Amino acid sequence: MRVVIVGGGIAAVYLANNLKKHDSSLEVTIVSDEEYPPYDRIHLCRLVDSSEDTSRISLVLDPSVKLELGQKIEKIDKQSKRIFSNNSVFSYDKLILATGSLPVSLFNIEGIKNAAVFRSAKDCEIIKKGVKNREVVVVGSGPIGLELLETLNEMPYVSDITLLIRGTHLYDKNLSIDSIKTIEQCYLQSGKIKISYEDEIVDTVVQEGVIKLLKTKKLEIKNPFLVFGTGIKPNIENFRDTLECNKGVLTNLYMQTEDENIYAVGECAEVKELGFIAGHVKECTLQADCAISHLLQTDIKAFKQEVSIDMLKVGEFDLVEVNSAQFTDDYEKILISSKENKRIDEYFMHEDKLVRFIGINSNVDVGYIEGLINSGEAVDINYLYENRLIGERGRLICSCEHMYHQDLVDIVTQTGISSFGELSDFSQAGRVCGRCKIMVADVIKDAQQFIDPKMPRKSVQDIQNEKEIAAVRKRIDKFNTLHPRNNLTTENLDSAMESLDIAKHEINSWISMVTADMQLHPNFEEVVQESVKSLNKVPIIWLELSDCSGNSEAFIKSTNPAIEDLIFDYISLDYHELLMSASGDQSETILEDIIQHQKGEYVLIVEGAVPLAMEGKYLRIGPKGETGIELLKKCAQDAALVIAVGSCALDGGVVAAYPNPTGAVGVAQALGRKDIINIPGCPTNPTNIVGTLLSYIMFEELPALDKFNRPLWAYEGRVHDNCERRGHYELGEFVKEWGDSGAKKGFCLFEMGCKGPYANVNCPTMKFNSGTSWPVQAGHGCMGCTEIGFFDKFANERKYVEEKNNA
Amino acid sequence: MRKVVIDPIARIEGHLRAEVEVDKNGVVQEAYVSGQLFRGIEIILKGRDPRDAGLLAGRICGVCTNSHFRGAVSCVEDAYALKIPKNAEIVRDLMAMALFIQDHVVHFYHLHSLDFVDVTSALNANPKLTSKEAHKYSKNPFRNSNTHYEEVLAKLQNFVKAGKLGPFSNGYWGHVDYKLTPEQNLIVISHYLEALKFQTKISKAVAIFGGKTPHPQSIVVGGVTSVADMLNPQRLNDYLFIIKEAKEFIDRAYLPDMKLITSAYKAEIKAGAGRANGNFLSVGGYEFEGEQRLFCNGVIYAHDFENIEEFDETKVTEEIDRAWYSGDAKENEVCYTDLNADGSLKTAKNDDKYSWVKAPRYDGKPMETGPLARVLVSYAKDNTLIKSFVDEFLQETELELIDLSTTVGRNCARAIETSYICEYIFKLVSRLIQNIKYYDTDTWVRFDFNTLEKDAKGRAFLEVPRGVLSHFVNIKNQKIDNFSVIAPTTWNATPKNFDGVRGAYEEALVGIKIEDTSKPLEVLRVLHSFDPCLACAVHIIDTKGKELSRYRIKTL
Repeated sequence: MRVVIVGGGIAAVYLANNLKKHDSSLEVTIVSDEEYPPYDRIHLCRLVDSSEDTSRISLVLDPSVKLELGQKIEKIDKQSKRIFSNNSVFSYDKLILATGSLPVSLFNIEGIKNAAVFRSAKDCEIIKKGVKNREVVVVGSGPIGLELLETLNEMPYVSDITLLIRGTHLYDKNLSIDSIKTIEQCYLQSGKIKISYEDEIVDTVVQEGVIKLLKTKKLEIKNPFLVFGTGIKPNIENFRDTLECNKGVLTNLYMQTEDENIYAVGECAEVKELGFIAGHVKECTLQADCAISHLLQTDIKAFKQEVSIDMLKVGEFDLVEVNSAQFTDDYEKILISSKENKRIDEYFMHEDKLVRFIGINSNVDVGYIEGLINSGEAVDINYLYENRLIGERGRLICSCEHMYHQDLVDIVTQTGISSFGELSDFSQAGRVCGRCKIMVADVIKDAQQFIDPKMPRKSVQDIQNEKEIAAVRKRIDKFNTLHPRNNLTTENLDSAMESLDIAKHEINSWISMVTADMQLHPNFEEVVQESVKSLNKVPIIWLELSDCSGNSEAFIKSTNPAIEDLIFDYISLDYHELLMSASGDQSETILEDIIQHQKGEYVLIVEGAVPLAMEGKYLRIGPKGETGIELLKKCAQDAALVIAVGSCALDGGVVAAYPNPTGAVGVAQALGRKDIINIPGCPTNPTNIVGTLLSYIMFEELPALDKFNRPLWAYEGRVHDNCERRGHYELGEFVKEWGDSGAKKGFCLFEMGCKGPYANVNCPTMKFNSGTSWPVQAGHGCMGCTEIGFFDKFANERKYVEEKNNA
Repeated sequence: MRKVVIDPIARIEGHLRAEVEVDKNGVVQEAYVSGQLFRGIEIILKGRDPRDAGLLAGRICGVCTNSHFRGAVSCVEDAYALKIPKNAEIVRDLMAMALFIQDHVVHFYHLHSLDFVDVTSALNANPKLTSKEAHKYSKNPFRNSNTHYEEVLAKLQNFVKAGKLGPFSNGYWGHVDYKLTPEQNLIVISHYLEALKFQTKISKAVAIFGGKTPHPQSIVVGGVTSVADMLNPQRLNDYLFIIKEAKEFIDRAYLPDMKLITSAYKAEIKAGAGRANGNFLSVGGYEFEGEQRLFCNGVIYAHDFENIEEFDETKVTEEIDRAWYSGDAKENEVCYTDLNADGSLKTAKNDDKYSWVKAPRYDGKPMETGPLARVLVSYAKDNTLIKSFVDEFLQETELELIDLSTTVGRNCARAIETSYICEYIFKLVSRLIQNIKYYDTDTWVRFDFNTLEKDAKGRAFLEVPRGVLSHFVNIKNQKIDNFSVIAPTTWNATPKNFDGVRGAYEEALVGIKIEDTSKPLEVLRVLHSFDPCLACAVHIIDTKGKELSRYRIKTL
């Protein structure tokens, strides 16, 4: 699929990178009217004062994304799915508009040399050159204007700056007078800046493309340089004819425009239902996620406004704002201020609930404020007062990553990093929107003194592991408190193990094996052991449908030590037709009991295909003659987790092989669900079942899965790549017929139709029957039994390619 | 007359239902057993390359897995008249015999013993007395220390205390038909736990030559692929030691436990509880020195051990009067007539169909097959390899040959068989070593598939753990035109025909007394004694090629 993104800012890059991340086969092109590769506008000030150049503020783009620069899109042809610039045509399957916004100037400044807007790298060039030896006039007191003002203030060859403000406020009209005064003082200190309130441009004298004289209500300025830091408007003029627009291009909650193949994201889009246009990076990335999910039709999510956090650091003051979608002019304000510390906290309340917060030099825990707004609970004013002083973690430095001062110091002292660059291994603080980068760098610098020179340096991995282990441990504790039903203690499990004569070192070696196989750090062993003990508390229903019991057989034969047997046969396997003592009505009672009383707690393991032909009647189970599909649905409905074990449960396996006489399908298809974990194999290696259950318990979430919902830890590696005979393949040493000299020497079985190159599973390392052997070791080769449709494709002793050619 | 329905029958492979009609005393007057799953593996086999039949047919069953794998490959070899090398035959036998041991032990302990053993009663056992009791059945009982029994007891108590019996929950505990003393119960439970470990170890023996089990992957048309394993002395050594360890368990736990259960249930045995019609079928096999075979072939009618007929392949027929198939030679061979609205089997009329299992007959009669049939036939034919094993057991337990044809007796036969298989497996390995020693390392007979006959028919009759297994193949233009399987459970779990004559399961059920119809323990006990394997049992009948291979498969 070809996706074309129009735009050159953070939204466009975020879209492109994340599309590629979800599906690397997509062909993604960014078409931008800029001369430079996409960069981060937040850092534009650095271009003005020359502290950075564009390459330094450019955004990281996936190298496989195609980039077309200097292409201004003038027309969209919805029918032929093409877009046109003045010299090129791009065709698309899906188009995403992320053109952002245009700055607004109060009059047309085209052709005027000493006036500029402040939106692009090009604007910065103009400003940089133009401000020399001129009195600078900045129009607008919003965040952009204020930041520019600060930048100009620091530049040595700028001596006079005038800020024109139509109203009487700085930053935001809802700010209190105290706050405005505090901000104002910071600017006025240097003596370079004049602020003219309730003022606006009334006339200009222009000669030869130069404003010679600027007249405002209150002032007359000769030979000025004029910068508009005022408002912005959606950059959509060229799309108005083709797409339904209001202020922005109108979209639904999935950011889809009236044309199903065109999406719009970020400042150029207007969500019709909400009448909302994005203004913050966070909102743009949220919208991008929604658009991607809808475009790829995976985990589709609708756009919803979230609480945004903005920070502004200018000179001596810093400002933080936490804003919710619920904020309107209908508010009451609570002000907590300290003149001495130049600190002002403004709480905007609506019906006792917090809807917005603005703090100047504030100490409050912004994460707490965000939580308060999100929770929508009534606010305790006393607490707000108590909260005014710096919390344990210090001041919030990075609002995107929720990184507080102390967190950063901790990273520095634990890892010994010395620069902002090194931080990226441990935290993305300062890198998400980038505003706080300098503050982050300063903290790192100041914290150097706390580093213990004798401290052993921890790697990224170490720190990550420590964090994960702590989190997993917490979950196990929680799990144990939530599932007290069985009263199983460490002691009685231990004694059970002893009575089965499983020596301690055997358990340990088994645990090491599982830990390693799940690709966890060795530090996890202890945690795995704890989880093994927790596992016995999860009720498990094992259903056999259209099957051969091969997976059950494999399961009870599993490995040595027979710890799985212990866990499953003795402790938690509550319903399993092959093993349970109860039959008929008694077994039905067990099943009903689990389904009724342990909703959302039990794990359902399904073995076998689901025959759907003849109304599912090819399989009947139980006294009432329920069909397999009826029973499956009943058991799956309230299961915490459904695991399809074996190839038949994946896609019908052998039962669904051509011509599929009983209309058999896999579990996921039968249930019409996408969240079924598949652990295929004919039979499945029991270690992979146990490992998946353990990982579910430890992380309380499904393990990472591939596109067939197979756990990556077990199904990521290709059989061919990990095969013990791979060396012979490389040397061209092949078995040519069964039992020949090559077979006796263990040569490669590719010529004998081994399907290892087409199969993904951990057989070469796990092997079967306590590591005794596996099909390749037995001289036969792999038949790809973990793959979709393997019986019709791979289950033979001929090379796969030949088969294809014959067909 | 009341009808008792039991579904699912747990602790078996597959989906089996039993319906019995009992009189007011709880005595079973009529019985119907039914296979409740149809997969159509034979239909799937049609049109495929005959060389692929093994991998696919192996999936008929995950319990008898290498049996079907071997059966399918063997019938294709038969069709092409390929004679496989001796070594390949032995390697296949070694896998098969390890499977016999594994299957029989798992069957008795994990699938069947809970019909005789009351787990909750074991809690009252005295460990010291338990140790003493075990000496009654073995000179050297397996893991027989007081402390061991104390540990087992403590573990059971922990489970009970925790209210968490796992697979032991909701059993028929306390049922009057549980006859073992607490100490006897504890002995068998202890072995139940040991057997869990046992079966993981013995499965390694299959995997050494098979690559894995279930579903080994080393048999190919013309031989076996695991030549490197066969030539590796360490692998042979591993195999031998696994068997050696297994033999310890068989001789010191399994066989003594059978003696224990025999003594406790002597009255039932003598009363003939669970006896079927007395028709037994064995096709024999497993060649040793010269012409001698571990199992003899033969047919016994109505318990007449004096006049044993030789097995004659041409007398095997398949019928479908009351199975869910159609006799018409139309495309659609399946003819499902559904269950009654309440979920029960339709059995009111004598032509109502009620099972996916078809009805194989030998000379028109339903037969019983399995370890019991093998023991009886071989013993009656004076097979010197096994006779002493049988005699010793009968002597010690004071049973006669006819007593083996009962619910408990079937298990005795299975245990005796396991014991002598363990013994003779060593001879088989020595034969293999002899061959290798004299430079015979062949494991595959060379053939060129394209020069083989385009059309051919073949069959294979094998003794596998549960009884007689036969595979038939009809090849046309290098593709499978027809495939048919009669598995051991097909014989034993057969439905009736129009004539109403019962098969082994149904006949064995008739006459037993059910003490409490809400807890039909007695029914389970009878059915489990046959070691049902339903995935194996259900096979479509071949309706078009009425002459399958050289053997007449009769259909209506």
